[in-house]
Amino acid sequence: MEEKRIGVYICWCGSNIAKMIDVGRIAKETQKFSNVVMARDYKYMCSDPGQETLISDIKKYKLNRIVVAACSPRLHEPTFRKALEQAGMNPYLFQMANIREQDSWVHIDREYATLKALSLIKAAVSRVYHHKPLEKRSVEVNPATLIIGGGISGISAALEIANAGKQVYLVEKSDALGGITARLDLSFPFLESVRQMLKPKIQQVQAHKLIDVFLNPTFEDITGYVGNFKSKIRQNGPEKELLFGNIIVATGLQAFNPEVIPEYGYGKLPDVITSLEMEEMLMRGNVITSNGKEPENIAIIHCVGSRNSKYHPYCSRTCCSTALKYANQLRSMLPDSNIYELYADMRTFGKGCEEFYSDSSRRKILFLMFDQEEGLPNISKAPQNDSSEMIINMHEKLSGEEIEIPADMVILMTAMEAQNDAKDIARLTGISLCSNDFYIEKHPKLDPVATTTDGVYIVGTCQSPKDIVESIAQAKAAAARVLASIAVVNMEVEVTTAHVNEDVCCGCQTCIMVCPYTAIHFDEEKKVSVVNEALCKGCGTCGSTCPTGAIESRHFTDIQILSQIEGLLKSEKESI
Amino acid sequence: MSKETKNKPKLKLAIYWGAACGGCCISVLDVHEKLFDVVAVADLVFWPIALDVKYADVEAMENGFIDVTLYNGAVRNSENEHMAKLLRQKSKILIAYGSCAHLGGIPGLANFHNKEEIFERVYHTSESTVNKERVEPVTSYKVAEGTLSLPEFFNDVRALDQVVDVDYYLPGCPPQTERFVEVFMAIVTNASLPPNGSVVGATEKAQCDECQRKKTDNKRIKQFKRLVEVIDDGETCFLEQGIICMGPATRSGCGYRCIEGNSPCQGCYGPPSTSPDPGAKMMSAIATMIDSNDPDEIIKIVEQIEDPAGTFYRFSLPGSILRRKLIETQT
Ligand SMILES: Cc1cc2nc3c(=O)[nH]c(=O)nc-3n(C[C@H](O)[C@H](O)[C@H](O)COP(=O)(O)OP(=O)(O)OC[C@H]3O[C@@H](n4cnc5c(N)ncnc54)[C@H](O)[C@@H]3O)c2cc1C
Ligand code: SF4
Ligand code: SF4
Ligand code: SF4
Ligand code: SF4
Ligand code: SF4
Repeated sequence: MEEKRIGVYICWCGSNIAKMIDVGRIAKETQKFSNVVMARDYKYMCSDPGQETLISDIKKYKLNRIVVAACSPRLHEPTFRKALEQAGMNPYLFQMANIREQDSWVHIDREYATLKALSLIKAAVSRVYHHKPLEKRSVEVNPATLIIGGGISGISAALEIANAGKQVYLVEKSDALGGITARLDLSFPFLESVRQMLKPKIQQVQAHKLIDVFLNPTFEDITGYVGNFKSKIRQNGPEKELLFGNIIVATGLQAFNPEVIPEYGYGKLPDVITSLEMEEMLMRGNVITSNGKEPENIAIIHCVGSRNSKYHPYCSRTCCSTALKYANQLRSMLPDSNIYELYADMRTFGKGCEEFYSDSSRRKILFLMFDQEEGLPNISKAPQNDSSEMIINMHEKLSGEEIEIPADMVILMTAMEAQNDAKDIARLTGISLCSNDFYIEKHPKLDPVATTTDGVYIVGTCQSPKDIVESIAQAKAAAARVLASIAVVNMEVEVTTAHVNEDVCCGCQTCIMVCPYTAIHFDEEKKVSVVNEALCKGCGTCGSTCPTGAIESRHFTDIQILSQIEGLLKSEKESI
Repeated sequence: MSKETKNKPKLKLAIYWGAACGGCCISVLDVHEKLFDVVAVADLVFWPIALDVKYADVEAMENGFIDVTLYNGAVRNSENEHMAKLLRQKSKILIAYGSCAHLGGIPGLANFHNKEEIFERVYHTSESTVNKERVEPVTSYKVAEGTLSLPEFFNDVRALDQVVDVDYYLPGCPPQTERFVEVFMAIVTNASLPPNGSVVGATEKAQCDECQRKKTDNKRIKQFKRLVEVIDDGETCFLEQGIICMGPATRSGCGYRCIEGNSPCQGCYGPPSTSPDPGAKMMSAIATMIDSNDPDEIIKIVEQIEDPAGTFYRFSLPGSILRRKLIETQT
């Protein structure tokens, strides 16, 4: 076995580290650890001269393992790995000890902080001793893209990519494109016709040479990994194999079913309708009650199934503006009607929407507030001789009074919720769901359309409730990400993957179902499990699950982690 | 028997029990008529269960006089420790024989308590005890005739290799007799032995590899059951029926005798060399099988596991990373 020659570099980070940790003393102590050939402290390790010292030491002292004790590896691990590469070393023969965020910044006793730094360095030294070189790998990116969901989000992404000259496969589970958007009459806040906006887009998609649309198809499991996905699809005809490099998930939303809310009587009272049913009436152009009359009293109830711990905790975001949209449309169509908006909070964010609200309040619309915690408005059938069909009883929050509202028609602003089959799509594409079953983005702020699975993007309302503008913005953002990845041609993939030792694997198959990226399969012939390393993200789940220890998580092997722990706990003694 | 082995000088064999149940010694006797093969090539120089050879006789032997010692049982008291050290000195090859010597075994479960707790239970609170004077064993006691002594009871149970260097491990509770004969004959015939420190008489693969039960990747457990609570179909993997089987965390070599007897593996053959702590490994594997995402439900499911510590560490506590339960001592 090669002799391990470890170099340890202790950074002052100006005074950030040096003021709380005795860096000089640490360098001296560290020098005594076995296998440590060189230990230095330096003012700024990440600076050019800092890195140059590291590089020249590697050559001069024939170092083959490096520890830098400095800031968080999130910040500078890539910097030092590059420096190692420049010195001709494999970048994985490196370990960082975080003595800034985890030490100097959070302690006030210099002696203890110094001892802690020593322990952290000892842990890193013990670990790096067992590091193995890992080889970088890259894959060629297939320039085609699969888009799942043909709503406005999927359509927008498809056009963006196809117009840049790249192939798109657009898969829509219903028998028409357009999604929910196709079921809308006008759009808030400017009340333009949705159909006029959507129709030309759908026509462009259908005519585009580079977009293959599959309506109502059956398609098989997606296999493969970023750059090289594969699936089989059938749409009344022979099965077709699809190859693609990226996936955009645009499966949208479904409307909440308000039958489960007893107070609203949906399904029992014929004139209690949902927002989508309202859209249908508006598109047809006549708003009438179940007995064919124009409604005199119309109530619109907000937050149906939203912002309520019993149903969905979140805000569906577009219903307040949509409710105002109805109030305005109805006011124009039925000038003599009484229109009541029963809201819990008015949330009309977005360009032009607050103005839309203040304009509406001048159009003879009565706004009444309720508090979901204190009880929902209750709808009941009015007595026989009453002038209206229904009565709504509610506690009006602003006046503090119990009031009765007559109603001939009630519109429920139902929540937007995740599709029933969101879990299946998540499994199919290897992405995760949040507690509300919306797909989770890679980073909530910095990476909103990517997912933790490389090559899979999420756009539109499948990620969270949003309006058309926001959906389109996301679709175009994901299209840009996809086009960028295609432009790279060869893409680097994870190297810290899992690997099954066939001599140990007993074939129990415990590992298979835990892999969130479906990277493991069972080899029936050899009777062992096999990791597809191109799919593996190195999450480590299978490694900690495997009861035999057959799975090695590269760069996080048992011996590496146990040595690190041992180093941490045995800092006063030698532990390698 | 071949000529070669016949004409060779006989091997000197010793068998000793530390903190043991006696089962390991019986497993050697289980060789039945093969015992004649063994004694044809080996002289038994020390075997407390069968021969009247005193400790003093062992002490009188020259260092390295014994060729092979099978030490079964854990190290629980000063007598076990003394004999382990003595036999190490006197033996060319020292084999940790059986689960107790290998990883601490059943006696090792005492590491979930300490000496004080054990004495309290055994000498005071156990249902069959009347001990008003609170008499407890002491290491030396003066009587008119002189001083009596007893070995010291340690706080910890240790596996053999936590006391002396061990050449080979032959796991099992007790080891499968055929495996013992194979290993023994390999020594006799000078067949190439694996490197020092190896586990012999067992394979690197876990039980599931040999187990004939049908297994899939669908190991989802909503309810943990004891064997008496299911009608075992005799075919489906125990885990897939909700019965804890230590098979995936246990080396094979026993000939999957428990499973073949329609009882899940208890884990006596210990873990493969890639697994430093079979209990922890098995617990993380089991944890992933629990079929629920609801924290309250998960707690309920986990609570169905009878005696988890004893189930997952039945044979391996002292030899695991865990080693023992941490017991707060007053300072
Ligand atoms: C009543 C109502 C009124 C609204 N009014 C407005 C408004 O005035 N202005 C505004 O900006 N926004 C409005 N919205 C919001 C708007 O509808 C959404 O922002 C928009 O529809 C989101 O588009 P999408 O493509 O992300 O999802 P969707 O429109 O839901 O489209 C998703 C598509 O994916 C398909 N799909 C789903 N699952 C699969 C699968 N497994 N395989 C293949 N295909 C699948 C679906 O069939 C559907 O065609 C309103 C919403 C509602 C409910
Ligand atoms: S969990 Fe481990 S032993 Fe079981 S099949 Fe997977 S790799 Fe093999
Ligand atoms: S480390 Fe294991 S569980 Fe995680 S992605 Fe890779 S194969 Fe799957
Ligand atoms: S290993 Fe089993 S049979 Fe052998 S002594 Fe220990 S308990 Fe008894
Ligand atoms: S877990 Fe037990 S029953 Fe299931 S395959 Fe493994 S050894 Fe056989
Ligand atoms: S099946 Fe398990 S418990 Fe039973 S003998 Fe074999 S190793 Fe021991």
